[in-house]
Amino acid sequence: MDVSSQEIVARALKLGFDDVIADGYVVSNLQVRFSNNEVDIANQWREYGARVFLALGKRLMTTEIHDPSKAGEVLETTLKILKGTRENPDYQGIYEGPFRYGTPMVDPKLREFDGAAGYVHEAIAAAQKAGAASCAGTLMRRLEAHDLNTSEGAQGRDERASVELSIRAFSERDASGHAIAAATRLSDFTPGEAGRKAGEIAALAKGPRAGEEGRYDAVLDPLLFGSFIDAFTSMASAMVVMAGLSMLQDKVGQKVASPEVTLADDPAQAAGMGHRLFDDEGVPSRRVPLVEAGVLRGYLHNTSTAKKFRVEPTGSASLRAPLGFLGPMPSNVTLQPGEYGREELFSGVKEGLYLTNTWYTRYQNRVKGDFSTIPRDGIFRIKDGEIVGSWKDVRVTENLLDLFKRIDGLSEERHQVHWWGEVSVPTFAPYALVRGVNITRAKE
Amino acid sequence: MDWELGDFAVDHALQRGASWAEARVEDRRIDSMSLRNGILDNVSVDEGQGLGVRILVDGSMAFASTSRMEKGEVREIVDGAIAAARATRRTHGLNLGEVRGQEVRWEAPQAQPLAEVGVEERLAALQAMDEAITSTGLEMPGRVLEIITRLFERYYVTSEGARVRARIPRLFAGATLQAKQGTETESGFRWLTYTGGWEGLEALKPGEVLAHEAEVMHRALKEGHRVTPGRMDLLCGPQVTGIASHESCGHPVEADRILGREASQAGTSFITPQSLGERIGSDVVNVVDDPTVEHGGGFYLYDDEGTKARRRYLYKEGRIHELLHNRESASILGTETNAAARTVGFNREPIVRMANTFVEPKDHTFEELLEGIHHGIYMVSFTEWNISDTRWNQKYTGREAYFIEDGEIQGPARGPSLEVTTRAFWSAVDAVGKDFYLEGGLCGKGDPLQGIDVSMGGPHLRLRNIPLR
Repeated sequence: MDVSSQEIVARALKLGFDDVIADGYVVSNLQVRFSNNEVDIANQWREYGARVFLALGKRLMTTEIHDPSKAGEVLETTLKILKGTRENPDYQGIYEGPFRYGTPMVDPKLREFDGAAGYVHEAIAAAQKAGAASCAGTLMRRLEAHDLNTSEGAQGRDERASVELSIRAFSERDASGHAIAAATRLSDFTPGEAGRKAGEIAALAKGPRAGEEGRYDAVLDPLLFGSFIDAFTSMASAMVVMAGLSMLQDKVGQKVASPEVTLADDPAQAAGMGHRLFDDEGVPSRRVPLVEAGVLRGYLHNTSTAKKFRVEPTGSASLRAPLGFLGPMPSNVTLQPGEYGREELFSGVKEGLYLTNTWYTRYQNRVKGDFSTIPRDGIFRIKDGEIVGSWKDVRVTENLLDLFKRIDGLSEERHQVHWWGEVSVPTFAPYALVRGVNITRAKE
Repeated sequence: MDWELGDFAVDHALQRGASWAEARVEDRRIDSMSLRNGILDNVSVDEGQGLGVRILVDGSMAFASTSRMEKGEVREIVDGAIAAARATRRTHGLNLGEVRGQEVRWEAPQAQPLAEVGVEERLAALQAMDEAITSTGLEMPGRVLEIITRLFERYYVTSEGARVRARIPRLFAGATLQAKQGTETESGFRWLTYTGGWEGLEALKPGEVLAHEAEVMHRALKEGHRVTPGRMDLLCGPQVTGIASHESCGHPVEADRILGREASQAGTSFITPQSLGERIGSDVVNVVDDPTVEHGGGFYLYDDEGTKARRRYLYKEGRIHELLHNRESASILGTETNAAARTVGFNREPIVRMANTFVEPKDHTFEELLEGIHHGIYMVSFTEWNISDTRWNQKYTGREAYFIEDGEIQGPARGPSLEVTTRAFWSAVDAVGKDFYLEGGLCGKGDPLQGIDVSMGGPHLRLRNIPLR
């Protein structure tokens, strides 16, 4: 028997809690991990439970109920614990409606997903054909059902499914390429295309030489640009702003990026892997503008932060946020495409770089946006719009706000990216041309 | 709690054709509490159980887990794993080597058991951390503080007869900080870890640590100067010693990474299976990983494949000495596991991980290390850091740092940055202190990401003629 969120809410109210949210979930994920052109392991996960938010006045707590037979016991224990805590003055209740949701739109072929290893081998074969010697990566099919009930009357059911393949291809030890295929419909899933792109980058990256320090105009691949967008968007949570840890603090209405940049969180977008019908307070999903033509329009909110900032909730509340209570988080980020063809962006670079992927992005100062990150996989030298060589061992040492202000062009072409740690939220990203990217490297 | 579901899972897997099987049954309780600028933001309790099973069928491996502890469910996930393994047949079959299973029971001792600590006591401890910061009177507009305790009970069983019962309590006190003076700001972060009971707070002293951080950040804002780029000597405090040990020694000797199994996520390594014995640093460098360090953040006595833990010399006398292995990597490279298999929980496969990684202390006092420096930097701790996925090109930026002139510590240096290769770092070490300190850490690897508890540290290290800016 699954954990009933409706029953949890009813029992919690009877015990005396004032506000209750119960997100009953069933997760059934499949994964194939591979390396050296072979499958290493096939993983399968099943998780059942309910994530529960409870408020006693302004005393707040979250807990998990995994066993329906112990729901009463967990709630009674929670009540005792809550009485030993204290009030949160920032808490302003949960969303009171209206609640009108669409219908879950899961591709039945993803629900019945089969033949994972076949897609992996399709990607590997495409990479090899493009010049790769060896490939590693993962294929993941996510399938989760949610049954949300709140004490304010929200009752929503959602089913979310996606499939993604991440492949890193090597043509030689120091020459690699990485690409992603991600979709919410099996017919849109293109593992072969991802394999081909990873293989092509790997083949082009052969014989890299140590890069040189300096400022370079750079074309950013959607995978790498997605990482920068991820870093930017994570600062747009009102809770991060309230914690004093955001570079976007006090900047609403101000220029925070070049006029090319229009950025939103859009969980209502069905093609996005972060698609959902409602947030964890039951607020219906909608497109939330964050940056329009380079100007910061607002933050991501739950009901409490929205009241504090005197705006409407944006449908961004999360029971699993790492910061705060029902911490607002992006779910499905989209950066509006530009007007250039991919090749036009390259032709705009006289002396520069094409950076395809990065990792290990770390801040020196979050509030200022000072950070560095390490490009990996293909790092290409561009002269007069043409790739003329391959580099290795460089670092981007930058300021995130300044970098977004130096975006000088975006491609019409966009890709959905989501990658291990670096692009933590599914993101639709174009290619970007950024002027004067600061490159450093190890001195010896 | 039905621990015997583990035995049932293994038996069922063998009946269905697995040549080998393991099961892990887990009972956990995780309590967390956080303060955001003095406001109690989040109190969270997660109690749950689960079972994970890993099997080999015809040389192919599969893993499955469930949080539903019922026989029918376990039977289904085992059947699913068997089918998945058969569907992903390998060209080169996996073999985990010959291991005789042991029946053991171990636990990390708790003087004050975590389970007996009430919410009021937890809140008081968290409040004390915040008051230690605010009582400095310094402007600290960003203060996110948390105390987390995790208590895991695990039963591990294999088809070779291993039966390992473990009880693992861990305590964490962490902080993300932002200091401000006028329009200037500084960021700080600490993560203190203790394997054991609530008595760990006495050992970790989070209040003292965080008050010191606030003072250091403000002193840097008020008096700090940038470094004139160039070559100079560097005195690394134990936190910097630790991060270098973890990033540019511990990670590159992970055998699964060397074999390419992590290539698309945590990356590869500059080390190959043929690198053992190659010089990577000066003669005085011994970097070890030792799970058995009592109260260390990565403490364990048996790893998550039931192998007895021991100290591993990763770099010894400046040479690459030993790789970290689980059974899979050891079997592929024709050696034996050295108990580096770890998992964050029942629902993840065990992979090669560090535990407590540090430079082995030697003979120099702090004063002796210092007096030998004519012109240099003392980097006590770090903020921004990163390293290439082959673990060769790394950067550490000082959070607390000072100028050194003629063997004397001078005023604070603001954001001195060291950007060097692994060989350049370890080759520049000319003297190793006799002191010792371990800082906690959360190490990321695997897919889905497994953030695992570790510690890192060691003594002060002196590096000669190293480029800083």
